[in-house]
Amino acid sequence: MREYIGGSGLGARLLLDEGGATADPLSPEAPLIFAFSPLVGSPLTTSAKFAVVSKSPLTGRFNDSLASSGFAISGKRAGCDAIVLVGRAPSLSVLVIDDGTVRLEPADDVRGETCAIAEEKLRARLGADYLIASIGPAGERAVRYATISHDGRHAGRGGSGAVLGSKNIKAIAVRGTQRTEWAHPRELTELSRDLSKRSFGPATAKYRELGTATNLLTFNRFGTLPTRNFQSGTFDEAENLSPEQLSVAHARTRASCVACTIGCEHIYSLGDRGVRLEYESLFALGSLCGVGDGEVVLRASRRCDELGIDTISTGGTIAFAMECVERGVLDEPWLRFGSGDALLKAIELIGLREGIGNMLADGSRRAADIIGHDTIAFAPQVKGLEIPGYEPRGLQTMALGFAVGARGADHNRSGAYDVDFSDKVDRRNATLESVRHAIETEDKAALMDSLILCKFLRRVLEDFHAESAAMLRAVTGWDVTPDELREGARRIVAAKHQFNVLAGWTLAEDTLPDRFLNTPLPNDPEALLTRERLQDLVAEYHRLRERPSGRA
Amino acid sequence: MYVEFLGIPRQRAGLSELEVEASTLGQLLGTLATRCPALRELITADGLHPSIVANLNGDQFVSDVRTPLAANDRLLILSADAGG
Repeated sequence: MREYIGGSGLGARLLLDEGGATADPLSPEAPLIFAFSPLVGSPLTTSAKFAVVSKSPLTGRFNDSLASSGFAISGKRAGCDAIVLVGRAPSLSVLVIDDGTVRLEPADDVRGETCAIAEEKLRARLGADYLIASIGPAGERAVRYATISHDGRHAGRGGSGAVLGSKNIKAIAVRGTQRTEWAHPRELTELSRDLSKRSFGPATAKYRELGTATNLLTFNRFGTLPTRNFQSGTFDEAENLSPEQLSVAHARTRASCVACTIGCEHIYSLGDRGVRLEYESLFALGSLCGVGDGEVVLRASRRCDELGIDTISTGGTIAFAMECVERGVLDEPWLRFGSGDALLKAIELIGLREGIGNMLADGSRRAADIIGHDTIAFAPQVKGLEIPGYEPRGLQTMALGFAVGARGADHNRSGAYDVDFSDKVDRRNATLESVRHAIETEDKAALMDSLILCKFLRRVLEDFHAESAAMLRAVTGWDVTPDELREGARRIVAAKHQFNVLAGWTLAEDTLPDRFLNTPLPNDPEALLTRERLQDLVAEYHRLRERPSGRA
Repeated sequence: MYVEFLGIPRQRAGLSELEVEASTLGQLLGTLATRCPALRELITADGLHPSIVANLNGDQFVSDVRTPLAANDRLLILSADAGG
C-alpha cells in the first residue's frame, strides 16, 4: 500500500492484480474497485474522497474517477482500504456493507430512480447512518459514460456507472463504526489546523467566491473556450453564462464536501431545488452546444445529474451530433446548435437509450464509426473520452496532456493548462521543453488523486511533496520522504500505462482528432498545432517516461 | 493602456476594465494597488500574489516587474488556476 498510497494509485495496482485488462469492461469478470486512502477520515481538509477504478466501457482503457464526501469516511470506518467488485448479481441489487459484513438486498423499489431519489429511499430503508453511492437510470442502461453518484457529487468520467450497472448493482450502502488510529495524532492535528487556516486564503478565493464557472469568461477572452463542437474558441453569448449573470436570475449559495474548508460548490436556484454548476458542465452543455441560455444549461446539468451521466461526454457527444446534422450527414433535423429544446431532448434520449440516444449513449467515437463520412475527424475525443473545456490549439501543453492521458482527454489527470496559463511556455507554440512541465503536472495529479487531496489545494501547498510526506507520516507512521512520493507518482502513472498496454494500447492512439492538427483555430490563426509537432511532443514524453518505443 | 480584470481580480476591483498610464509592469501594478485598494491583498508594485497572473495582449504571460509596456497594450489580470 505504501508504494501506491491509496485512491487512484491503490486502485491501479489492485486492477492490475485482479486482471481483466483484456476483458469486456461490462462483463461479470471485469473488476470494479472503490479505493480509499490513508488520509481518509483524518482531520486534514479535503481528504474525504474516494476513487472508482476499472476498465472504461467508453475507452477500453484504464479509468479512474473520483468523488467526495461521507461515503469515503464510512467505507474507511467499515474497515476497508478498498472494495473490489467482480461478478454479477442475479437481479438488480443493493450491496450492503455493514462494518465489514457484506450482503445483497433487492433493489426493485429503486429501479429506474434517479441517483438522489435512490439514495433517499435506501437510507429510509436501511437507516440514516448508511452512506450510499448509486447509479441513475443511465447506469442501469449501460450508457457508456454513466456516473456513480454520492450526495449529489459524481465519479463522473469514463463510465464507472455502467460498470456498476453491468454487475446488477444499483447502489452500494456502507455503514462503519470503527475508528482509525493515527500514528502521530498531535502532529496531525497541528498539520490539519495549519492547512485549514491556509485554505481560507487568497489561493482558494476563486473557488470559494466565484466557483469554477468563472473560467468561462477567462477562456472566452483568450479564445480558448470550446464552442460549437470546437469549431471556434469564442462564444458570442458567453457573458450570459457567467456566474455573475447566472446569479441575477438564479440565487447562488455555497456548499462544501464533508471535511472541506474551501467550499467550492456554487448552487444556483432553479425551481424548488438548487443545481450545482461547474465550469466543465457549463461549457459542455453551453458553448460547446451553442446554447447561451443560462436557465437551459442549469436544467440540462440537473438532468444529467439525475440520469447519472457525465456532463462533459454528454455535451461533447451531443455537440458532435449537432455538427453532423449541420453537415448533412445525420438526419435528425431538430438537433441544431443553439437549440435548448434539442439539448434537453437529446439528454433525455441518451439517459434512457431511446431513439438516436441509443447511439449517442455510446459516445462520440462509436457514433462516428456508425455515421461514417470521416466524421471521426471532428469527434471531440481522445481514446474515446470526450475532450474537456480547453481548446487544444490555443493551449498546447494541455494538448499533449490530452494526447498521452491514460484515461483519454482529461483535465483532472493532467494539469498542463496551468503551465499554458503561465510564463513558462508559449501556449500557442509548445516545444520539447513543454513536455517536462506536462509530466510534472501529470505526476502531481497522480499523487493528489492517490493521497487523496483536492486539487484546489495545489496553490495552498507551498512545498507539495514535503507537506504531503509530513501528512502521510503523521497518519501512518511511515517514514515517507518527498523523494519517495515523487517516485511513487511515477510508479502510479506507469501502472496506469501498463494496464493500457495489456489492454491493447498502441502509440497511434496518443494523438488528437484531425480537426486539431494542421488547421489553425479559426478565431486565432496563430494557434496552430501541426501533426508533426504533436508527434514530436508525444515521442519526447515517452522518452522522458523511459518507455522505449512508447511501451511500458 | 488598458487593464482588463477577470475572475477574482474583476470581482475585487468591481470593474472589468480600467485605463492606466504606465511604462513598466511594476509601475502599472503600483498604480492599480493605489487606485483599487481592494486589490492590495493580490497586487503590489513588487508583483502579483501567486494566485494571480498577468498576460499581455492575450499572448504572453508576464511576471517581471521590469517588463516594458506600450501605450496600446492591454494587460489582462486574472486568477492563476484555470482548472475546473
